Amino acid sequence: MILLFSLVISAMFAAGSYLMLKRDLIRLIAGMILIGNAANLFIMASGLRRGDAPILPIDGEGADPLVQAMVLTAIVISFAVAALALALVYRVYTSHYSVDLSRLAAAEEQQSERDEPETGDLRDDIYDDTEGTPNSDASEEGAP
Amino acid sequence: MIALPLGILWFGGLVLAMMDGTRKLAGWLAVLVLAGAMFATMLVGISAYNNGVQTMAVGGWSMGVGITLRVDMLSIVFALLSQGVLLAALLFEVVNDVGARIFPALVLFMGLGLTGLVFTGDAFNFYVFFEISMISAYIMASYGESPRQFRAAFVFITVNLLGSVFFLIGIAAMYHTTGFLDMGRIRDQMPLVQENPAILTATIIFVAFSIKLGLFPFHFWLPAVYTGTRPSVSAILSGALANIGTYGLIRFGADIFPRELREAAPVLIALGTASIIYGAIQALSRHSTSEVLAYSAIGQVGYIMIALGIGGPAGYAAAVLYTVINSTNKALLFLSGSLRGWLAGAAFVIGAFSVAGVPPAVGFLSKMALFQVGIQDDQPLLVALIFLGGALSFVYMFQIYRRRTAEIEAQETSPWGVQVVVVLLALVVLGLGVWPDPLLNLAERAAQSLPQGQIP
Repeated sequence: MILLFSLVISAMFAAGSYLMLKRDLIRLIAGMILIGNAANLFIMASGLRRGDAPILPIDGEGADPLVQAMVLTAIVISFAVAALALALVYRVYTSHYSVDLSRLAAAEEQQSERDEPETGDLRDDIYDDTEGTPNSDASEEGAP
Repeated sequence: MIALPLGILWFGGLVLAMMDGTRKLAGWLAVLVLAGAMFATMLVGISAYNNGVQTMAVGGWSMGVGITLRVDMLSIVFALLSQGVLLAALLFEVVNDVGARIFPALVLFMGLGLTGLVFTGDAFNFYVFFEISMISAYIMASYGESPRQFRAAFVFITVNLLGSVFFLIGIAAMYHTTGFLDMGRIRDQMPLVQENPAILTATIIFVAFSIKLGLFPFHFWLPAVYTGTRPSVSAILSGALANIGTYGLIRFGADIFPRELREAAPVLIALGTASIIYGAIQALSRHSTSEVLAYSAIGQVGYIMIALGIGGPAGYAAAVLYTVINSTNKALLFLSGSLRGWLAGAAFVIGAFSVAGVPPAVGFLSKMALFQVGIQDDQPLLVALIFLGGALSFVYMFQIYRRRTAEIEAQETSPWGVQVVVVLLALVVLGLGVWPDPLLNLAERAAQSLPQGQIP
């Protein structure tokens, strides 16, 4: 059983790493989600033992309830982070009209060549942006 | 009592999340909440200082069943440091007009995460608080909402999510090898664990925290993020969030894996040296202020790594002291570096002197502590390295200062309010340097709360 688990975990990890090397941001996020879930499976495997469901009253050997509680928490967290990352990809898309990593890198290079002097005044910077108000999307991303 | 700072921040964050943070009133309310939480942390700190470690099982469970909160001086120092940096950055934004309605709430949630993870005595609970602060940071990185900020936020989220996954795997490995999640019990069980699994687990956790910290081979994400985000956000990321890395390395390294840390000491010192040299050389060759500061941040964590590698009471005290001073310096420099005007310029100079280790500023203390550690440990190479690093940082700080004075004439000055905020922060840096006893004492006490850090 442990062998099967480790095979599945390593396969998921490998697939996730492969996807993370892609230039497409959506695939990159998919790779991140896969790696996160491989970690969740790893937690399950770390407390794996045969037994009845850990519900009182337990007679005899029960399964380990702690790993299940941990995995549940970790799944919720990775789900929330995945949603956040996808929202961010959407904002990257609306501001660059591309989800290709090489295009983003090109934009970054242009930026550093311009080498603009920074100012501490935030307001000008935001309202120069043509798309929408600055407040609407940030609050949605932040909602738990 | 111990949970009071967490409660204040949690409740305050929830209330502020429903308010429009761009309004002055909401901003000042957030400042008030954060200051209240800091006060509560100090109260907890006073009782921890006088009576030793404070513990509490949450949720009314009996000790050993429920999740424990465990507060010692190390926790207090890091909690106060993170909250202080957050408070400075929040004040800076509130005075300067907050640009996103969620920002004040995010600062409070990050404060909750950073305070929670130093207060908790449970490894998995550590991960949960860690994620609370990381998620706030992910959202915060895109604050400003220009294309550049989105790119920075994307790099940040990708790399740091991987770091979090590594940490999660490390926790699962610790649970598997020891059978406990409580950090105190893991520490008791760890010597019984076989060598190979223990080293593997320690390495995974080291990688996870080094990614957060931006230590040399894991630094690749850091310049892009620190230069891309708004000045206040870079101040928060380098001054408050990076403390997760240092605290994690000290807590998990010196407390839970002391055997592995001792074996890995040469590696830590080598990585630290590489970090110092790489950071300084890169900083010398950069032009914009934020880029120089980002590479300087990579260099500065190298010193912390060296102090940690030497270990012992003096080494751990130096690591804590260096972290406190480095975080304050970075917050001051990122905030004041974005402003124009003679007050902000003066604040920037104080910060630059502090990084270079010139006497009246507090940075001198941290360099002194490292010198002492190097001489005590009889490592002349190390002393030479620290001196070289200090000299290089003096050169690059002087370079950006000269470039700034050339720019100043061309631009109008920033509003007075913001300049006053950075000057207050600069006065803190100066004050700690002039009257260093409390800080030195705190760092020593923090080191004593580690099993290897007690004076024999």
